[in-house]
Amino acid sequence: MPATSELDRVTAVVLQYMRTPFLVLLATYALGITGMSLMPGVNDSSMNLFHSFYFFTFTATTTGFGEVPAEFSEPQRLWAAVCIYTGVVAWLYAIGSFIRLVQHPQLVTAVSERRFARQVRAITQPFVVICGFGDTGSLLARGLSDNYRKAAVIDINEERIKALKLRDYRVKMYGLCGDASVPKHLLDAGITRENCQGLVALTRSDETNLKIAVMARSLNPRLKIICRSTCNQTREYMEAVGGVEVVDPYAVFSRQMCTAIFNPPLFSWMQRLIGALDFNLEVCVSPPVGKWILCGFGRMGRALRDALAERGIPTVIVDPGAESIDPDLPVVIGRADTRALDEAGIGEAVGVVAGTDSDEDNLGILLSARKLKVDVFLVVRQNHHENELAFSAVNANLIMQPSLVTARQILQMLTVPTILNLRRYLRDEGAEEVPRLVARTQGILGREKIHLWIESLDGSDCAVRAMTEKGIAPTLGDIQRTPMERTRRLKVLALVLRRGEALIMLPEDDTKLHLGDEILFCGTVPDHRLLSANLHNEYTLYYIHRGVDEPRTLFAAWLGRQTFLKSD
Amino acid sequence: MNLEKVIFGFFIILALTLNVGFVMGEISNPGHHSVWLLFFALLVSMVTTLLKIGDRSQIGAIFLSASLVANLQLIIATTTWAVGEGGMTTPPSQEQMVTIISLASGALVANIVSVLMLVADTLMARR
Repeated sequence: MPATSELDRVTAVVLQYMRTPFLVLLATYALGITGMSLMPGVNDSSMNLFHSFYFFTFTATTTGFGEVPAEFSEPQRLWAAVCIYTGVVAWLYAIGSFIRLVQHPQLVTAVSERRFARQVRAITQPFVVICGFGDTGSLLARGLSDNYRKAAVIDINEERIKALKLRDYRVKMYGLCGDASVPKHLLDAGITRENCQGLVALTRSDETNLKIAVMARSLNPRLKIICRSTCNQTREYMEAVGGVEVVDPYAVFSRQMCTAIFNPPLFSWMQRLIGALDFNLEVCVSPPVGKWILCGFGRMGRALRDALAERGIPTVIVDPGAESIDPDLPVVIGRADTRALDEAGIGEAVGVVAGTDSDEDNLGILLSARKLKVDVFLVVRQNHHENELAFSAVNANLIMQPSLVTARQILQMLTVPTILNLRRYLRDEGAEEVPRLVARTQGILGREKIHLWIESLDGSDCAVRAMTEKGIAPTLGDIQRTPMERTRRLKVLALVLRRGEALIMLPEDDTKLHLGDEILFCGTVPDHRLLSANLHNEYTLYYIHRGVDEPRTLFAAWLGRQTFLKSD
Repeated sequence: MNLEKVIFGFFIILALTLNVGFVMGEISNPGHHSVWLLFFALLVSMVTTLLKIGDRSQIGAIFLSASLVANLQLIIATTTWAVGEGGMTTPPSQEQMVTIISLASGALVANIVSVLMLVADTLMARR
C-alpha cells in the first residue's frame, strides 16, 4: 500500500521534529499556569486557573495585554517575569522546529509527490506520461501542448521540473522530481489510468529507459510504451519486453536521408506536413547520388552507412577511433580536418556528413569541407539545442537535431499514428502516387500553414451517426466543403482513413463515410474548425450533402409534406 | 426564400412586437396596458413554442428554452391579472399592475434573445 507507507513516513518525520518542542511547550505552560495561580494577589486573592491560562497565553505569545483581569501584586509580577522569559523562549524554539520541519527534504518530497498524484488523478482528458525532460522531452511537451494534450512529466533533476512549471503551455503540465524507474512514481504519474495514452521514456541513458519500460510493462500490460534508444542491444531487449515501440533518431534520420536522396519530392512533402515552412514543394532539397564522406562513425555514422550501403551508395568513413570499425570498410583514421577530408577524396565526393557527438567538431568539419569544395552537399548533426544560432549561420544543406527528430517522431506516434503508415506506404508500394499527391497538396493547400489531426467519426454528437440513421451515407468530399458555399472546397486534405483494421491510403473524395472511421487530415487551422463543425451538426452536413435544408422542426416537416405547396 | 423560414420568423418577431406593445407605458398605470395585448402576446408565444419543437441542434435547444421562459412569465402575468382583486371586470390595482408588467418585461427579454438568435443563425449560414 504505497499511500500508507508514505503517510507513515510523513508521520514519523513530524513526530521526530515536533515531539520535543511540544513537550517543552507543555512543561512551560504547566509550570507558568500553576505558579501564577499559587502567587498571592492584591487582598490575598490569587488568580484562578482559567485566568492564569489566559494570562500565560497572551504573555507567552508576546501579545501582552498587560495586567488583566486585575492589577497584580508584587509576587504575581515576579512570576509574570518568569512566565515571559520561559514562555517566549519555548515558543521561539517550537516555531523554529516547525520551520525546520516544513523544510525537511523528505517531507517536501512526500508533499510534492502527493500533490502530483492528486493532480494526475484529476485529469479527465487523455494524457501522456513523459519520463525525462531534457531537450527532447521539452520539445515533445511543447508539441503536445500545441495539440492541447496534457502530460505528466517525471525528471530526476529538480531544476528541469522547475523550468517545466515556468513554461507557458496551452494546457496544464504536471511535473514530479524523482526517479522515473521507481514503480511508485510511475503509478503516481497515472500509467494504470484509463485515459493514459502512453508512456514515453526519454531519459539520458538507455539503461534507465529500459528499466522504465520493464516496470511500466509489468504494472500495466496494455500500456503503449515508447522508448528512445540508440543502441541495438537495448533495442532488442526492449522489443523482447513486448509491445515497446523504440525510436532511434539516427535510424529515423537515415531513412529520411535516403528518402531525400532517392525521392526528393516525398521528402519535401513530408517536411511540409510537419510544418517546416522553409521547405517549399517547388524547390526540393535533394542530396545528390554519389560518394559520401561520413565524418564520425558513432551511432549516426553507422546508421547512415548501413542505410546508404543498402541503396548501393558508396561511403568513406573518417573517424579517429579505428578499432571498432570493420576493416573491410573504406576508412580514413584521424580527426576530420582538411588533410583527412582530402585523403578521403572530397574532390570526387558529392556530400559530407558531419555526424560526431561534438558540436564544435561538426562545425569545424563543415567549414573545412566548404573550403575544400564549395558545392559539396553538407549534412550536419546538431547535438545541443542552445547551439542553434551557430548552426543556422554556417549554411548547411541539412541540419539534423537528434532531439528534434525524436520528439517529432514520438509526437506523431502519439497524436497522428497513421501518418507513419502513410510514410511507409509512400516510400515503398505507393511511390508512384507521390507526384499526384504533391500536386494535390500544392493545389489545395498552397503555401498556407498547415497541421495534421485525426477526426474520429464516433461519439453521440457525430453528425454521421444521425445521417446513417436516416439512411444517408455522406462522403468524404461532403465533409470537406464549406456550408457557406457548397461548391467551395475547404483547405484540407484527407490522407489516411482507418476503418477497423483496414487502412485506406489517400482516400478519394467519393469514399462513403462509416461510423467509427478515423480519418487523418492535413489542413489549415480555420478550416479544421469548419470541418469539425460539419461533423458535429447534422443539419449542416445534410445541407452540404443534398444542397437543400433539412426541415428542422416538426412543423417544418409537416409543411414540407403538404402537397398543395409543391409547384409541380 | 422558403416558406418555412417565413412562417418561423413571422411568429418569433410577432411575439416580440406584441410583448413590447404591452409593456410600453407607465409601469403602474393600468390605463397604459391592454389586457388584449397580453392575451395575444401569450397566444403567439405559445405558437412559437410549438413551431420550435423538433430541432435537435444546439441552437434549437436554446431557441426552445427561451420560448419556454417567455411562456412561463406571460402565463404568470396573465394569471395575476385574472385572479387579482378586480378580476377581469375592473382594472388591477397599481401594485398588481407593477407585478404584471415586471413579469411581462422578463418575457420581453426572452423574446429579444429569441430574435437575436434567429438573426445570428441566419447570418451564420451566410447563404
